[in-house]
Amino acid sequence: MQLTMELIEMVRGPDRDTLLANAAALGVKESLIERSHSYSAQDRLLAAETLAEYPEEADRVRQMLDDFNQDVRLGAALALARNGAAPPAQELVLRLDLGESERSLLMVQLMRDLVETDTQGVEAILDDWDLPDGVRLAAVDALASAGRVEHAPLLYWMTEAHEDDITFLIRIYRALGRIGHPEGHRAILRGLKHEAWQVRAAAAEAAGASAYVGGSEALAESLGDREWWVRFRSGEALFRLGRTGHEALKRIAASGSELARAAALATLAERGSR
Amino acid sequence: MNFEPAEWAREWMLDSAQWIALIVIITGLAQTAFYIVQLGYATMALSNRPPIPRGATLWRRYSDQAPSIAVLAPAYNEELSVVESVRSLLALHYPNFEVLLINDGSKDATLTRVVEAFGLRRVERYIGDAVEHAPIWGLYASPAFPRLLVIDKENGGKADALNAGINAARSSLFCAIDADSILETDALLRVVRPFVDKPDLTIAAGGTIRIANGCSIEAGQVKEVRLPRNFLALVQIMEYLRAFLMARLALGHMQALTVISGAFGLFDRQRVVEVGGYSLATVGEDMELVVKLHRHMRDLDQAYRIEFIAEPVCWTECPEDVRVLGRQRSRWQRGALECFAKHKDMCFNPRYGRIGFIGFGQILLVDVLGPLVEVLGYFLVPLLWGLNLLALPWLLAFLAVTFTFGILVSVLTLILEEVQLRRFPRARELAVLAGISVVENLGYRQLSNLWRLRGWWQFMRKEQGWGAMTRKGFGGTPA
Repeated sequence: MQLTMELIEMVRGPDRDTLLANAAALGVKESLIERSHSYSAQDRLLAAETLAEYPEEADRVRQMLDDFNQDVRLGAALALARNGAAPPAQELVLRLDLGESERSLLMVQLMRDLVETDTQGVEAILDDWDLPDGVRLAAVDALASAGRVEHAPLLYWMTEAHEDDITFLIRIYRALGRIGHPEGHRAILRGLKHEAWQVRAAAAEAAGASAYVGGSEALAESLGDREWWVRFRSGEALFRLGRTGHEALKRIAASGSELARAAALATLAERGSR
Repeated sequence: MNFEPAEWAREWMLDSAQWIALIVIITGLAQTAFYIVQLGYATMALSNRPPIPRGATLWRRYSDQAPSIAVLAPAYNEELSVVESVRSLLALHYPNFEVLLINDGSKDATLTRVVEAFGLRRVERYIGDAVEHAPIWGLYASPAFPRLLVIDKENGGKADALNAGINAARSSLFCAIDADSILETDALLRVVRPFVDKPDLTIAAGGTIRIANGCSIEAGQVKEVRLPRNFLALVQIMEYLRAFLMARLALGHMQALTVISGAFGLFDRQRVVEVGGYSLATVGEDMELVVKLHRHMRDLDQAYRIEFIAEPVCWTECPEDVRVLGRQRSRWQRGALECFAKHKDMCFNPRYGRIGFIGFGQILLVDVLGPLVEVLGYFLVPLLWGLNLLALPWLLAFLAVTFTFGILVSVLTLILEEVQLRRFPRARELAVLAGISVVENLGYRQLSNLWRLRGWWQFMRKEQGWGAMTRKGFGGTPA
């Protein structure tokens, strides 16, 4: 069974269809259905993952979304989403108790796959303030990964609404960095002044990732931050900004405060531009 | 010779003798009962999170979301094995990791060997200052091996080297290892599982360490699991099975784990920085770090998890020489006592919950009192019997408790290994280990307790230092 799953992962197109058909002819499907009732959670999980490759067996895998083992439930959902056979996003959130008892990072993967087939469902999660933060963060990450730039204004608004939630803000700033939309730049500037250093570092990283050249002055100021991670991320971000950033680094290396000068010099030395 | 005490002393001596025997037997029973409970919890842990047998399955499930990891490998005088060790680390199967080899002021050619083998050149890197360590002399890297950074620093010991690595790491997680250990290629994917499953709670995770003596090793990997011929190595295999597959797995499931082996542990970098990194003035820095993390999180009143996974992730060479083994065991004992003494206010303190009661209860019972009471029993119970102060049934009860239950626990651990992990390919090997679990009680167990008593003595005298650790090396060449 494991071998079947690994081979399926390796092949694509007509070869994959042939492999699935041959496996079915050899009785693999019946064996998988049997093992989907196994006492061993690992067996059931592997059965769910492999059965989901057969569209005609999607119903059995959907039943496994109510398995008593958390790993099996999430594994079945991931397998269904990967094959475009998952129930609507909102239903999955409720059935798997996403964001509450289920807080795995694999939620992000699940949301990314769901974006392909149920974009509106995932977007609706962002607007549903009754849902746990964890699941909404996963939706943010998924939409950012999919490059859905139209969500930038919403993300900007979320940085204001979650001013005190450090974990949430860090993820939102990373998402803003990935989206790279100018709408997020005001939020990045505000993030660089946030009282939590983790947020300041995430905002600096986002400035570099979204090529926010206009933020180079604020980043140069952050080179003198009391927290090493903020200084490091600001230096890295400035270097990513091209000529404007390099010039800011050189200026601070020559005339900044002691902390800022050390950070700028070290960044330039590491990048071979001193 | 028949000793007959004076009448006035007889009653008093008889009472004392029975009390001593009772204390010894009750301590032995408490230890054994705790072991049986641990076996139950270990079984539960394996049922709740069954081991994933294949690395490819792990990769498929976890690689997309696996957070980046900095692997910290301190090295001191490892010129014979360092190149092979680094090659093995660079071949790990993990989507996003960097290897930080920390040359801790080696007096041999450790640095030269690795610089030449990987074509490294001196580089600059912006290093943090979150935890204290001895000065760094230089950093070495090569564009051909972007995952590798070598840190050359003044000698300061393993804990100091790890602190330097923590400062240089740029990942949210770091994995502390021994440079001379062999990691399974999928070790990082296995141990990162708790961090993926419960990202907002997990702050540390340890994995099972196995003994590589006797195994077939090729290109820095364990190719075939075999038993060694050396008796001491065989006994240590049983000890490691009991320690990891039973005790640590169970304590992890109870959320009362007090030690993650220095040979392999994955940590949340920020949480470790918050507790000041590794402590320098102790030989039990691995245990102390975990206890500090517990204390810190309890003081912050934040929910957290320190997990243990059953799958073997790391293979290490154990001593086959009785003197080297004795030194190692005395040092471990000293480390446990230092940690207990430093954090004794946590013991049975309701503020620290289950770590105060179960975790520290285990240290008190097994590490602090265990060797004292057992050695006391070895001397006093036969003596009292010889002096006609103790009836034969008491003596037999003592022997039955210490030996029979010890063997039972070992055999049950072997059964757990066979049911869940199946790393020993032949039944003969399990039979040999079952035999060892009987034989170890006749001589080795007593010797081991004497070593631990020596550790107690060293602790009382505040002795420092690790002592020489001679290794044959995995290639069989004496090092």
